[in-house]
Amino acid sequence: MKRPARGAAILLSLLAVGVTTAGTRLAGANPPTAGFLFLLVVLFSATVGGLAAGIAASLAATIAFNYFFFPPIHTFHVADPENWVALAVFLVVSVVASRLVTAARTQANRAGARATEVQTLYDLSVELFLAASSAESLADAAARALAATGAEGGGVVLFEPDGDRRLGWIGSPPGETVRERAASIRIHRRTLEFPSRDVRDLYVPILPAGATGGVLVALGTPATRAAVESTARLLTLAMEREQLLGQRAHVEALRESESMKTALLRAVSHDLATPLTAITMQVASLARQLSGQSAARTVGVLAEEVARLRRRIDNLLAMARLETGSIAPRPEPIPAPDLFRAARENLGGPFSAAGFDVQVALDCPDVFADPSLALEIIVNLVENARRASPDGAPIQLVADRHPDDPAMVRLGVLDRGPGIVLDATELDAAEVRPRGLGLEIARRFAEASGGAVVLAPRPGGGTSAWLDLPVASSEEGGKHGRAARPGR
Amino acid sequence: MAAPLVLVAEDDATIRETLCDELAAAGYRTMRAADGRDAISAFQNAAPDLVLTDIAMPNGDGFRVIASIRQRDRTPIIVLSVLGGESDKVRALDLGADDYVTKPFSVSELLARVRTQLRRGAPHGAVLEFNELTIDRERRLVREGGREVHLTPTELAILELLATNAGKPVSSREIARRVWESGEATPDTVRVHVGSLRRKLEREPSVPKYIVTEPWVGYRFIAEPK
Repeated sequence: MKRPARGAAILLSLLAVGVTTAGTRLAGANPPTAGFLFLLVVLFSATVGGLAAGIAASLAATIAFNYFFFPPIHTFHVADPENWVALAVFLVVSVVASRLVTAARTQANRAGARATEVQTLYDLSVELFLAASSAESLADAAARALAATGAEGGGVVLFEPDGDRRLGWIGSPPGETVRERAASIRIHRRTLEFPSRDVRDLYVPILPAGATGGVLVALGTPATRAAVESTARLLTLAMEREQLLGQRAHVEALRESESMKTALLRAVSHDLATPLTAITMQVASLARQLSGQSAARTVGVLAEEVARLRRRIDNLLAMARLETGSIAPRPEPIPAPDLFRAARENLGGPFSAAGFDVQVALDCPDVFADPSLALEIIVNLVENARRASPDGAPIQLVADRHPDDPAMVRLGVLDRGPGIVLDATELDAAEVRPRGLGLEIARRFAEASGGAVVLAPRPGGGTSAWLDLPVASSEEGGKHGRAARPGR
Repeated sequence: MAAPLVLVAEDDATIRETLCDELAAAGYRTMRAADGRDAISAFQNAAPDLVLTDIAMPNGDGFRVIASIRQRDRTPIIVLSVLGGESDKVRALDLGADDYVTKPFSVSELLARVRTQLRRGAPHGAVLEFNELTIDRERRLVREGGREVHLTPTELAILELLATNAGKPVSSREIARRVWESGEATPDTVRVHVGSLRRKLEREPSVPKYIVTEPWVGYRFIAEPK
């Protein structure tokens, strides 16, 4: 119900007092009846017209009551002092009643406004969390909420790296003052309030974690500061949620692609390993059944090549697994002699007969590495050395503490081949990066184990392939030297 | 005496048939099972001398086969495992398997393991004898290549445990449990003592003849009994 203007309310209340006076006079009402009727008019005036109308009605009624009902009538004189008391009581009662009625009415109006704000916030929250998604639609919803609570203008200003961006703006475009005040929130990050009469301008920061911040501007709003701040908080939450949903979608997409890669690798691994195992065994079977030196040699070469193919595939799959992170190196202490022994056994075939000269320093510490990776590194280095070596030349396998780094063990595969051909850029380097697939695999595996592979010309001819791996601590129950870094 | 009977439990037909051919060529009698259930019933019916079993099989995997066999007796079991299946190996050993080979394995390696397992089972006397190594368990004396090797009681206990299980991988956990009955030993404790034992025992530490590490599992005694 809209309240009438104050002047009109006062006039109407005076008119009501006049009408009541005339009515009671014509009906010949006695003074108590007239008094109650006047009180009724005062209460009505206060309820409808507000405090001023109520007080005006109180005064007018008191005067009329005195003039028409207290003897001597038709004068403002009051003969009986008791009647003065009655008149004063009437005045006080009517004024107090006016005030009470007005206060009650104000409370009711405020409660109504709060109810509207709460309803608006609720509607906004439902809209933000169920429907809205982009920053634009979030800002539109916030602007609609501002409008619903009676704001004249406003919206959202987003602080973006290349300047402020207005979203979901209602009312006329912001002037210089509004833009400056909004921009100042970037620095102050606190609510700014500019009250004027019944309404206020509010600038409330929106500070979502992990997303671009901004400010909610409400111009000429009758809504409370708390309500506008709540709106901004809802907006902040909605923006954070959008951010998180976006991240989750990204993470899920990544995880899906990783698990697809892992599944693919597993399938490829199984589908290749099974036939290769079968071929390996069939070749062995063939070797047993065949007689004649040349056939045996052919089958021997076949077996060797199948074994190499198998190892290459295993290496490549292991490399892919390290890269996707579907396996991490599982380091443990390994004595260097065991590593060399396993490599010689693993190579088998013609390599088992080849001369190896193993020299492990007596005080050489164990290495701390993933045994399968370390083994493959040595195998690849030995294969490489073997291909380069002249027939019958032994390959030397050595292990000792690293001469410069006490936290590393240096394992060497040394051959008497033609040596490495250096690039022009490498001529001055004492050690160079390995080349070729086998060496590349060795290098990647070494890096995944927290070590390195380097090649260097061997004094007296040939190549020294050095594998540096972390030392396993020899302390009982102690830490294992340097932890292996995950593969990249 | 009839040739030893080997039960081959493997779901891949090519590998199963080739294995059986190779075993037959090496002088063994063979019987086949394509899944876990077949393997268990074949074991009950034929009482083979040795079992080769895959882990991943339909109708009851290799673990179930091992557990079922170990409820009855100590028949040697060798597991055919896959690359990276170290936790499977340890689990199989814990269930009572005697050894494992990793696919793709070489036939000669597998045959060597089979021979080792079939030779085991003879009760160990007071003196364990290998080519150049003698362990006198009663007198607590160890001789290697004509020299006497002085071991601490812990080292001797580890050596006895590994040597009585020659050819079989023994997990660090089992060494810790059997040698340190108090249960205070960790795999690191075991490693330190095995390292010390190896330094005393091996004349040429660069080329170990007796004890080697089994990656992620434990240790294996590799010398052949006399």
